[in-house]
Amino acid sequence: MSGRRLDDCLRLIGLTMIGTVICFLVVPIMVTTLMAFDARPYLGPLPPPALSLRWFSRFFSDDYFINGLGTSVELACLSVVLSLGCGVAIAVGLDRMSFAGREALTSLFLSPLIVPPVVTGFALLLFLAQMGVINGFARLLCGHIIITIPYTIRATLAGLAGIDRSLTEAALVLGARERSAFWEITFPLARTGIVSGAIFAFAVSMDDVSVSIMLTDAKTYTLPIALISSMRANFDLSIAAASVMLMLLTLALILILEKAVGLNRAIGQGVFR
Amino acid sequence: MKSDRGALPLLIPGGFAFLAFFFLPLAGLLVESFRLYTPGSIGTSASAPFTLNNYAELLTSAFLEFFWETLRISLLASLAGLLFAFPLAYWITRRLSQRWRAITVGFFVTLMFLSVLVRTYALELTFGAAGSMHSALLFLGISPNGRGYIEFLVGAGLLHYIVPMATLTLLATIQNVDPRLVDAAQALGAPGWKAHLSITVPLCMRGLLAAFLFAFTFSISAFVIPMILGKGRVLFISNLVYTRFSEIADYPSGAAISIVLFVVAMTIVLVMSRQINKRWNA
Repeated sequence: MSGRRLDDCLRLIGLTMIGTVICFLVVPIMVTTLMAFDARPYLGPLPPPALSLRWFSRFFSDDYFINGLGTSVELACLSVVLSLGCGVAIAVGLDRMSFAGREALTSLFLSPLIVPPVVTGFALLLFLAQMGVINGFARLLCGHIIITIPYTIRATLAGLAGIDRSLTEAALVLGARERSAFWEITFPLARTGIVSGAIFAFAVSMDDVSVSIMLTDAKTYTLPIALISSMRANFDLSIAAASVMLMLLTLALILILEKAVGLNRAIGQGVFR
Repeated sequence: MKSDRGALPLLIPGGFAFLAFFFLPLAGLLVESFRLYTPGSIGTSASAPFTLNNYAELLTSAFLEFFWETLRISLLASLAGLLFAFPLAYWITRRLSQRWRAITVGFFVTLMFLSVLVRTYALELTFGAAGSMHSALLFLGISPNGRGYIEFLVGAGLLHYIVPMATLTLLATIQNVDPRLVDAAQALGAPGWKAHLSITVPLCMRGLLAAFLFAFTFSISAFVIPMILGKGRVLFISNLVYTRFSEIADYPSGAAISIVLFVVAMTIVLVMSRQINKRWNA
């Protein structure tokens, strides 16, 4: 009997804990969203007495942020294109391999995921300085390709893994060339994987600080770098406004991911649901 | 059988990028970490003599303190993350309707994707010294600028990512546990907590270890979270690398710290994933 009593007690503790954890995850985001619309010209306590868009217009009238935003978008788009190009090719190559080195090569290509990003950034900083590469944008691009490529490789590999090889073989038997068999059979079937790789790569590039902070120069910096340095200087609410916009971007990416791939497929599922 | 034909040329462009932007720089980092540092110069010249000083310096107690702090906060945050994520994942899998499960999963994916900057800023704005909880903290007798609270805040920053990540990792794991096993144990008279402790938890051990591995490697290489929430009082190894570069331009020392961080992270990943594979794939 006491065992059941203990069960009820533990269930209550468990539910309280779940509630607290969800609050811990959600409340800061709600506070930030609310404060972004604060009409007061200073950082005051909750709740804001009136709402306005002043912090948003402050954000957009600040050249420092806008410059960073421009660089970030440009950099993210270019990184996605380049790392998709290299990543899809690598994934297709790895998928075609059958010898024992395949496992090792795959983990080698995915290794930027486990190397601490600051180490990657610092190594690249030293290396590019020795090579004489001083253009800020070029340095950032090198760093962003390396941190985004593993995501495109992994997602494409996952997309390719579900494809029945006999489909391609059938096309080849029926007289298709290797090249057209790839573009007409394999590529469309792997498309969802490639799309989710692109979304992941874009998100990673837009969000990176640890690598970028090593590679920026005075004129070329990304939005996260601009935000983090103004966060350290003065804690003003235009960063809250920027945060709200970054949240909307995240939400948009998730919706695209859901529409194009399906979240359950993107994260995997078990048997007994 | 797959054909290897045409596989290798596909690896060339990406392989070149990896070599030029990743493997060669890492090798260069290793070399740099053995160079003698001469104050005042930016970087070292190719003719600088080799030395072990940069590593010897890391054995002083001031540096060991930073390493210990990084490992301690990371370990506590990872364990707490699992403790919170496991019941959460169980609840999502077993207690929610299909519709609510989809909504919750979407919510957690969004949380995991959330920019680390937004996360950090939101926590600082809510729980930090200038934040909305300021008066509540003072009321409770907690100093928002005390070291203990700052450490707690850095841990909370790590948890804000670890909890959604670990929950999503554990969802599939818990979905693979046959619920009839727990039902059977309870029908035979075991109390629920005992049934879960002796059935659900051991069956999920692989997922738990994998989630722990993600959480711990994420934490020890964390950069933005301790940089903002730590306010210069709590520094992680990553922050130390950055200050070596940005504040005193001691590149060899920064390289040595990077190499140590690299080796620690790699050792943890290799040892843990080998153990996981050995126990469950055999």
